[in-house]
Amino acid sequence: MSFVNLLASIQTSRFAHGIAESNHLLIAFFQIVHVFGFIFLLAPLFLIGLRVYRLALVAQPLEKVLQQGRTLSLIGLSMTLSSGLLMFLSAPLHYYFNWAFDVKMGLLLIAILLYVAQFLWVAVLNAWHPALARWSISISLLSWITVCMAGRAIGFV
Amino acid sequence: MTLMALAQRLEETPLGTAIAEGRFAFPVLEGIHLIGLSVAVGLLLLTDLRLMGLFLPQVPVRQVHRQLQPYILGGFAVVIIAGSLLFLSEASTLIVSPPWPFKFFFMLLAGVNALYFELAIARRPEALPETGRLPLSVRGAGLASFVLWALVIVCGRLIPYITHWA
Repeated sequence: MSFVNLLASIQTSRFAHGIAESNHLLIAFFQIVHVFGFIFLLAPLFLIGLRVYRLALVAQPLEKVLQQGRTLSLIGLSMTLSSGLLMFLSAPLHYYFNWAFDVKMGLLLIAILLYVAQFLWVAVLNAWHPALARWSISISLLSWITVCMAGRAIGFV
Repeated sequence: MTLMALAQRLEETPLGTAIAEGRFAFPVLEGIHLIGLSVAVGLLLLTDLRLMGLFLPQVPVRQVHRQLQPYILGGFAVVIIAGSLLFLSEASTLIVSPPWPFKFFFMLLAGVNALYFELAIARRPEALPETGRLPLSVRGAGLASFVLWALVIVCGRLIPYITHWA
């Protein structure tokens, strides 16, 4: 079975039909969760960025800011991914043939890898070479911004 | 001039037309609006969580509040500019959408709550202790701000889905 066939079978499944044919406010609800998730994902990352750049919470150890930010940010990531998956399952073929969606998925993969790297290594990197930690957090934030921009383009291409 | 006529005139301005008809202008502005929102409202929600004692409890509230304020205000400047440009391109659609006035109503309430916090609550010497449990008024202001900004976001996302009153 090819990947397109797999997506077609998902699209014709009872679950996908259930979402697609339900009240349009269900998709709106997924969108709201998606946006909240993105906010809770990005805001702690931005806060960690401010701390790494020594622009805020300088009196606090970076490890503590990371630890607190990680919990909230992971909640945000889970909200974004789960709501995004449910929206995708409502019309997988429609999304698959949208180039902005393909770009978003590629960027998302990079953003998640960089995201994991931040929480694992940014404190060590900051202690060893602060400039590298600044680059690292900046690239991570930039990757999420590009994910967001590609996501907004999905409905317009 | 009616509100609808004014909205239509705004849409017909060169800038409004350019945004509406440009291939990528609208999604780019939407993206900027969302990123600004994530920074401004995101950091504001983190401050609210701190006021409720649920985030960075070891950090003094005044420190979180003062140090994040410039970025919150900067984020809001981005949100307002991008939001105004988006409004310009679809003003007549937005003014008849039921969630749209509610969005501004909740923003107004959130603004009043923030002003009350700044001018009345935060000025009391005992209101923001360095450590320990914060007074009920402070936690209440944090909760109110959190809920009101969440409602602003909900209304904003509902705009394309609820386009008319009936």
